[in-house]
Amino acid sequence: MRYVLIVVLFCVCVFVGYYYFSKFDKRKKFFSAIIMLAEKLSVEINFSRERLKVLIENFDPVTKKNLLGIDEGFISYLDKKTELNEKEIFKKATCLKQDEKDFVLLFLKTLGRSDVENQTKEIQNFVKRFTDIKGTCDVEHKKYGTLSLKLSIIAGLFFAILLI
Amino acid sequence: MLSKILPEKIFNIIDKKVNLKAVNEIRFRADKPIVICVSGKNYFLNENGITSSGASCLYASKIAIEDIIFRASECSIYSVNEQIKKGYIVTENGIRIGIGGNVVEENGQVKTMTNFSSCNIRLPHNVRNCSLCAFPFIVNENVIENTLIISPPGCGKTTFLRDFVAQLSERKLSFNVLILDERGELDCKLDSNFYDKIAFSSKKMGFENGIRALSPDLIVTDEVGQEEDIDAILYASTCGVKVLASTHADSMETFCKKPLFQKLIKEKVFKRYVLLSKRNGPGTFEGVYNENFARMSSKY
Repeated sequence: MRYVLIVVLFCVCVFVGYYYFSKFDKRKKFFSAIIMLAEKLSVEINFSRERLKVLIENFDPVTKKNLLGIDEGFISYLDKKTELNEKEIFKKATCLKQDEKDFVLLFLKTLGRSDVENQTKEIQNFVKRFTDIKGTCDVEHKKYGTLSLKLSIIAGLFFAILLI
Repeated sequence: MLSKILPEKIFNIIDKKVNLKAVNEIRFRADKPIVICVSGKNYFLNENGITSSGASCLYASKIAIEDIIFRASECSIYSVNEQIKKGYIVTENGIRIGIGGNVVEENGQVKTMTNFSSCNIRLPHNVRNCSLCAFPFIVNENVIENTLIISPPGCGKTTFLRDFVAQLSERKLSFNVLILDERGELDCKLDSNFYDKIAFSSKKMGFENGIRALSPDLIVTDEVGQEEDIDAILYASTCGVKVLASTHADSMETFCKKPLFQKLIKEKVFKRYVLLSKRNGPGTFEGVYNENFARMSSKY
């Protein structure tokens, strides 16, 4: 019975650590994906001038998974099914900070509102800012994400030793 | 499509309380009442439908106008900027949205339009048989005459052209028709099996390329209004290709005074002129005239 308790306690500790680790990991991947999306939009708007909906739908499906559902929310807005607000867009993106959500929302609100030249400039400005945020996310991921995973394993081992 | 363009509230009122088939235009002007043109007459829009008095009518906001234009461009203004430069957007369903706002110029060229302050949504209609009054004068023993449709704006020129092409197909007159559609609204809901289309091209380019590549018997085009359009029509007539076109004028007298058309009138390029008006609603047939401007048919 004691060994079962040790295993369960160890798993709980590791799970908590992994939860925080994946939170930082998701944020990092999210900003990598949104930078890729923005760059694709910038290129395609210049080249093919295709509609936003088509461009987002045709975006790489693997990278799209890291967008935490904001692409679906945005397409739903383009189809006039939902509003473009925080509640609708960030349903699945709970790992983002408030100021990051505000910034992503601002990015989505500027899409499709101007001519090619201005739209491209705007997107490039957002890409720069997203790159800065991604840099911060990388640092936080290394600093806190990996740390929380390590700490959780140590805590798990500590409780195991304590119980033995 | 209209449901995707208009604000939900406005669309619901129009859809439920106004006969959509009779709506010609819906006009939005910033901070002014919404005006709806039904069967050629202007009304205001209110919660209960249409009204002639300004009381309790609905007003258009600048944000609503910007949203209509944004939605009409399928949320991608950049993709329709070439149209916006010319002051309009045409949707897939042939709904034409005229835009009022600030023109941005650079080096003498229109770059774009911003600060949208008004828009006029023109709904296309298929009025079956509306060209029949003039049809026997234009098509005679399988020969089509060069014809110009003349009317003020909003009197059904495009609808006439569309029905005429459908009539040719219906009567199994298998002329190869080339629709030269500068604005992408001519072939909307067009019921014909014998037409090719060149869209969003200038008339000059469209006539030259179309005649070379598609060898049409008849070229149908809307709104002739520039010097190069006249040259294109002259080019077609020298190539033996017939032309059915339209232009703006409120009467034959006014048309005859237009300097742009003097060459065509002098050379008698057009053998038939069809005059339309709004006298009894859009598309009122006023008569057919020959190349000497003698009336061939009486008024309805």
